[in-house]
Amino acid sequence: MITFGAMNLLGDPLFNILGPVAADVDNPESLQAIEEAKAQYYLDKSLPERWSRWAWDFVQGDFGVQFSSSGQPPVSNLIKERLPRTLQLMAIAQLIAVGLAIPWSVLAASRANRRTDKVSTVTAFAFVSIPSFAMAVILFYFFSIRLDWLPDTYNATDPFWGFTHDHRLIQLILPGFTLALGAAAGYQRLLRTDLITTLQEDFILMARSKGVSKRRVLYSHALRPSLFSLITLLAINIGYMIGGSLVVEQYFRIPGIGSAVVEATLREDFPVVLAIVMLVSAGFMVFNYLADYLYTIIDPRVRTEKSGQRRKITSMGM
Amino acid sequence: MNDENNLPIESSNHDEIPLANQSLEVSEYADKKKLGIGFWLATFWLVLITFLAVFAPVLPFKDDKQNYIVFEQKENPITGKLQDRPVQPPYSPSSDHWLGTDQDARDLLSRSINGARISLAVGALTAIFGVIIGGALGMIAGYFKGILDKIISAIFIVSLSFPGLILAILIVALMDRSLTTISITLGILGVAPIGRLARAQTLSFSEREFVLAAETLGAKKSRILVKELLPNVLIPMSTLAMLVIAIAIVAEGTLAFLGLSVQGSATWGKLILTGSGLQVLEKAPWVAFVPMGFLFLTVASFNYMSDRLRDYFDVREIFVTRD
Repeated sequence: MITFGAMNLLGDPLFNILGPVAADVDNPESLQAIEEAKAQYYLDKSLPERWSRWAWDFVQGDFGVQFSSSGQPPVSNLIKERLPRTLQLMAIAQLIAVGLAIPWSVLAASRANRRTDKVSTVTAFAFVSIPSFAMAVILFYFFSIRLDWLPDTYNATDPFWGFTHDHRLIQLILPGFTLALGAAAGYQRLLRTDLITTLQEDFILMARSKGVSKRRVLYSHALRPSLFSLITLLAINIGYMIGGSLVVEQYFRIPGIGSAVVEATLREDFPVVLAIVMLVSAGFMVFNYLADYLYTIIDPRVRTEKSGQRRKITSMGM
Repeated sequence: MNDENNLPIESSNHDEIPLANQSLEVSEYADKKKLGIGFWLATFWLVLITFLAVFAPVLPFKDDKQNYIVFEQKENPITGKLQDRPVQPPYSPSSDHWLGTDQDARDLLSRSINGARISLAVGALTAIFGVIIGGALGMIAGYFKGILDKIISAIFIVSLSFPGLILAILIVALMDRSLTTISITLGILGVAPIGRLARAQTLSFSEREFVLAAETLGAKKSRILVKELLPNVLIPMSTLAMLVIAIAIVAEGTLAFLGLSVQGSATWGKLILTGSGLQVLEKAPWVAFVPMGFLFLTVASFNYMSDRLRDYFDVREIFVTRD
């Protein structure tokens, strides 16, 4: 299935490479760049041959040249430069999301159906319903403009580790939270249900009657068996976070691959768009597959069909 | 999942994980069969915004494209004389402009309502596209089974395995940015989930007695599909369609925010974008927050309605298994 999917994506957009090039040939100024791109993309060859060569290059990590002006830097360099920033952002976002979701859902599950839980359910619902671009503006307004706690600019040349406004670690907190809040709400909804189910198991009753404190039961007895589906969701959500990072990177001016793809789309720079879409889709599929696999590995109690049920929850937010 | 769940827990309405064999508490049962005040509030908002959006041109709102510059008596800095000079917009909410104006002194209330026209249209078109195409494919797959089912299911799985937004950006990048393209792009993304639901529902219903009865009576396959199965599949499908509308509105907003949506018209995403710059946000936060409020209420309403309706009609097979 995955191969078929990959083939599909490889084959389809390549037809469109012809479009802009054919249109640009009339323009003498960019003729040289086009010739270069032509050579790079084997545009003088037949379609199947071109496709297979391009795919082969791609697999080897050569993504060709950009259409823009001089064709420099090559797409692979661009990605090499920008991918780490996106990965840093996503790692921070994921950490924040998990850090929020676990105490949040333990709190909600321990008071299931009481007021705290109801409030938290409504909050989670609201967070899920706020699109990431709206979240970005809201957080930016309150934490950067009104409260002035966090820096409003991202500077790619600043050092990463450190705790002042001139370090990227701090500069990434706001974008990280933007991505994380929606994700945390999703995690909370899942983990809360799982925790409530676990809390009714006999071993919880046993631990409580032995005199283990409530907090200890929650965090060390109940949490662990409830984490299975969350771990899977984490893996799946990495894929969805890439979608969110498009907006976040664009808004907070982080030069990662998300903003690269948006810029390239506006410039009609197809090799860049194509390479990034390919890369992201491949990553997405790998993580999806991994999640499926992981799920059956860590929790053999559950039949494989369950993974289908859980995974779908994440696809709500695109 | 354990089978001895007797404790009074609410099987969370928002999670699509059915707690297997869980005996229902009375309170939970009652809860499930009521739609609740929130549902009606959501419905009210959606009816209101749809009404406003549809009838915006005839309703007595301010013109959303006109610049309502306010003048006041001020001293001309050069000549030193008192004269009518324009006040720098954006203006804050007032009796004249209930929700304030943007940087070009355009009324935000009417701009948001006009933005709703496109946003809701995209949402509706997406859902219709998804229901018609996805529903037809899913029902055919579920009813005829066999090789047809295999092919259609494969198509669904492949399209589900791409990150939706990236795919949308790719299509928008390669084609134009008209309302039709964007709706169809997002519609394609809605086909697979709706189709899978339709397939699962059809599969389960096609084994029921009434279908067997119709078959025994010699009804044609097309008749069974339309008259027997469609009414049963339609309700679950429409609950999911609401979710798809919400997703489509968000996706369109995202594209608009990135500057990749319908060109020339101000959808909510674009309105938020105009208010989201550092300087505007600092001086006049309402420029971004007003359309954001509209967007949030609408998306949350669709989400919540879909959620409640799914509980109400007990649509469990929404999250069908992958095969």
